[in-house]
Amino acid sequence: MSQLQARFFTENKRYAVDDVPFSIPAASEVQDLSHVINTLLQAKNESHKQVEFDFLVRGQFLRTSLSSHMETEGISTEEVVEIEYVERIAAPEPEECMMHDDWISSVDADTEWILTGSYDKTARIWSTEGKAVMTVAGHKDVVKDVAWVKRDGLTSLLLTASLDQTVLLWEWNSERNKVKARHCCRGHTGSVDTIATDPTGSKFCSGSWDKMLKIWSAVPTEEADEVEEPPDRPRKKQKTEQLGLTRTPLMTLSGHSEAVSSVLWCDSEEVCSASWDHTIRIWDTESGTMKTTLTGSKVFNCISYSPLCRRLASGSTDRHIRLWDPRTKDGSLVLLSLTSHTGWVTAVKWAPSHEHQLVSGSLDNLVKLWDTRSCKAPLYDLAAHEDKVFCVDWTESGLMLSGGADNKLYTYRYSACQTDAGA
Amino acid sequence: EDSVFSGLEDSGSDSEEEEEEEGGGGGGGREEGAGLPVETAGDAFCEVLCAVQDIRNTVGNVPMEWYRDFPHLGYDLDGRKIYKPIRSQDELDHFLDKMENPDYWRTVHDKQTGSDITLSEEQVALVRRLQSGRFGDVDFNEYQPTVEYFSRDVMLHPVTNRPADKRSFIPSLIEKEKVSKLVHAIKMGWIKPRRVEDDSRGRYYDLWASEDSSILARHKMHLPAPKIPLPGHQESYNPPPEFLFNEEERALWEQQDAADRKLPFVPRKFSSLRSVPAFPRFVHERFERCLDLYLCPRQRKMRVNVDPEDLIPKLPKPRDLQPFPTTQSLVYRGHSGLIRSISVSPTGQWLASGSDDGSVRFWEVCSSRCLKTVQVGGAVRRPVCLTHLSAVHQVAWHAKGDYLASVMPDHSSHLQVLIHQVSRRRSQNPFRRNKGLVQRVSFHPLRPYFFVATQRSVRIYNLLKQEMTKKLQANAKWISSMAVHPGGDHVICGSYDCRLSWFDLDLSTKPYRMLRHHKKAVRGVAYHRFYPLFASASDDGSVIVCHGTVYNDLLQNPLIVPVKVLRGHAVSQDLGVLDVTFHPSQPWVFSSGADATIRLYT
Repeated sequence: MSQLQARFFTENKRYAVDDVPFSIPAASEVQDLSHVINTLLQAKNESHKQVEFDFLVRGQFLRTSLSSHMETEGISTEEVVEIEYVERIAAPEPEECMMHDDWISSVDADTEWILTGSYDKTARIWSTEGKAVMTVAGHKDVVKDVAWVKRDGLTSLLLTASLDQTVLLWEWNSERNKVKARHCCRGHTGSVDTIATDPTGSKFCSGSWDKMLKIWSAVPTEEADEVEEPPDRPRKKQKTEQLGLTRTPLMTLSGHSEAVSSVLWCDSEEVCSASWDHTIRIWDTESGTMKTTLTGSKVFNCISYSPLCRRLASGSTDRHIRLWDPRTKDGSLVLLSLTSHTGWVTAVKWAPSHEHQLVSGSLDNLVKLWDTRSCKAPLYDLAAHEDKVFCVDWTESGLMLSGGADNKLYTYRYSACQTDAGA
Repeated sequence: EDSVFSGLEDSGSDSEEEEEEEGGGGGGGREEGAGLPVETAGDAFCEVLCAVQDIRNTVGNVPMEWYRDFPHLGYDLDGRKIYKPIRSQDELDHFLDKMENPDYWRTVHDKQTGSDITLSEEQVALVRRLQSGRFGDVDFNEYQPTVEYFSRDVMLHPVTNRPADKRSFIPSLIEKEKVSKLVHAIKMGWIKPRRVEDDSRGRYYDLWASEDSSILARHKMHLPAPKIPLPGHQESYNPPPEFLFNEEERALWEQQDAADRKLPFVPRKFSSLRSVPAFPRFVHERFERCLDLYLCPRQRKMRVNVDPEDLIPKLPKPRDLQPFPTTQSLVYRGHSGLIRSISVSPTGQWLASGSDDGSVRFWEVCSSRCLKTVQVGGAVRRPVCLTHLSAVHQVAWHAKGDYLASVMPDHSSHLQVLIHQVSRRRSQNPFRRNKGLVQRVSFHPLRPYFFVATQRSVRIYNLLKQEMTKKLQANAKWISSMAVHPGGDHVICGSYDCRLSWFDLDLSTKPYRMLRHHKKAVRGVAYHRFYPLFASASDDGSVIVCHGTVYNDLLQNPLIVPVKVLRGHAVSQDLGVLDVTFHPSQPWVFSSGADATIRLYT
């Protein structure tokens, strides 16, 4: 049995051990190393309780025995190995299951309320405890995407995008539990599949099947915008019943050659959009021009951006999750690809408080929790859904949400208290 | 007048006397029956002998049957009649005689005298000698040593002792005269010496000397005789016991036809080589061998050594032909009957399907959600090509969207195909006569051509000139489906006899390529709008996606490579996949099947 020289370090001061090299057996696995650290900590501190650790060798999670891991990574066994250890991320625990009347197309959650869009043409507001609070009905067709805009005390602004080619801006008072449609955003000529509000909450962007991106004002006003109707439109059509005041887009960004499947704001001036034409495009909202194009080989279903690690994650129809660096201009654009799903990846979301974690949902009924430091296999598979998963989300309060075609919205509690989260 | 019978009696007694004489007292009883006294036997002996001597028939070798109806047999030396002896023996007596008389075997019947003669010992011995082919004389030695009067050995004394002639010592004058005559004739030129043959091109020459050597080499028909296999253990005179036949094997061997036998002989075991008999079938076998050699075909087989790898056409690897659909991604469930046809909206967002349950459903492609169900009968307003089997068999839209053609399968009518103009709400019937059962129709994507697939062929009509421009022979029994390449120069036809034919309209009216990848009837074919892909759906439950690049260069033939077999549909009631269509913008293929599902492969 060969031995290795290893030095352990951690960024969590609570679990720090002496910075001296240890001789450990090469065949030891995570359990063995965890036991070593626990023994060391107990020797130092009587009151230490058993903690499960995970180990990183040069930024990669240790999943096999130490020697085989170093062999595959090509690390010399002659030198002292620097091994970082972190507290193991506990498995997310399922909490609530919220039944809907129909398939769930989208979910957006903040620390207090959960907003879901459903195929029964309504959006619903739930409390984080799983209590149905409000049903927002008004669309004439399936609600494809929902988003919170802003919260001022008890009144909140929220957005719903639908297959009926409109986006509705609603005002919801949580005390009186009244919802009112403030604006009906018209302009798209295809179903609006995705919306995203900018970080300040004053604008939002929508992407549609008509290949356009439109940027709208999210500030409710009391006057309707003038709609330029095409002259050949039948007069009758105009008289259709309409909720709220008509609003027209501030800006239209065209450039995609296929449907836009996902949009998001990278920061207050940058919009990123993914499309079925195999590209991710980054737009400047000040000038309305396209800044960067990232070209893939398959249809993109969803993208997510993490300001913590400044990476873009995309889920596509070839079952891979790819991580992109939107700032590089040359070289390989795909930094990493995470492969474990067996169906289209329909939803991907970065963790709001952790720079390495992301969650993905797929048509193979699985929700997977990933750590970018272990790209071979996900950390956890959450097999709660019985049908296709369409949407996933995180909240900063430690909730993970996923909804799908089995009409259920599941919430999971995860250990958000990552004091060692690096950041 | 002498009684016939008295004479007969006499001769009978005579013969009996003779019998007694030669038999040695064998027939004593009979003597008494003849009525002669025993005492007279000795006296009568001499007379009897004389009488025996005398009784000699003088008739010669006339057949004795001629005397059958007479009491006599012939005439003796004195000219008296020889009477037949009285034959009182009937069959029973004859039999008793045969049983009891020890000399019966040496008794012979003399036809000349009509008497029975018992042969003596010497006579029997003589008969035996003659029968065995020896000389009758006992003392004759047929193998006496020869006396060689003339031998190869030179004797001391000559056979003749004449002295040599004088003429053997002096030259012959006659010969001298003859020679001188010849010499004189030669001198005078009367006899010419023998002419020397000019053999530069003599009587015998090589007929093929000037022939080309390659032709000669071809005529050289030496075929080595096929080798006889070496003898094995069965042929051994002392084979191991496992090679010997047991009862069953022997019975089987005997039952079998000679040609079917595994061995032409039965292995036998001998204690030593000395006791092995000659091979009984040797000549037979040698004859068969000669027959084999004689009948062996005198045809030289020209073997070409070709690497089998070279015969496989060079096709690009499927990996290099990506993108094409590889895996099943979504299943659209909801129909209750088999789905006859599917169609995708030009934007790629919607999918329409027509089913045998009498409904048309609209699906969202990306989520497999059924958003609308229309029972047939209601108005369907969608910019899609719909195909459903009710009264109308097929509807095909023109690329510009203003015209649509519908097919009503009807054998007798000439109103099978109708072309409708949507904007003016007018219909017209383009064909005056019925040309067979119309299976499919299609518009040319660019030019004013109209494709009509009937049962056996595809006709192409020019709609402007209103005439038929081309007729494609599909070489199929029954065309089931047709698709026109978006470029308009290529057509694929699927048929119920498992074939897919690719037509190059610029090349020929015969199929450029026949693809026989399906095991069962091909139900649907489709081209992708811009990817070089086409797909065929079959009753065996599979969809085969092929890569088909069409080059702008007219000299280069289309490249057709099958890239993927997509399975997933269950076969029910012998129906598998019924329709196939491509997504308008992505390399995805939809297939609808008899299992009431639509599947998306990406």
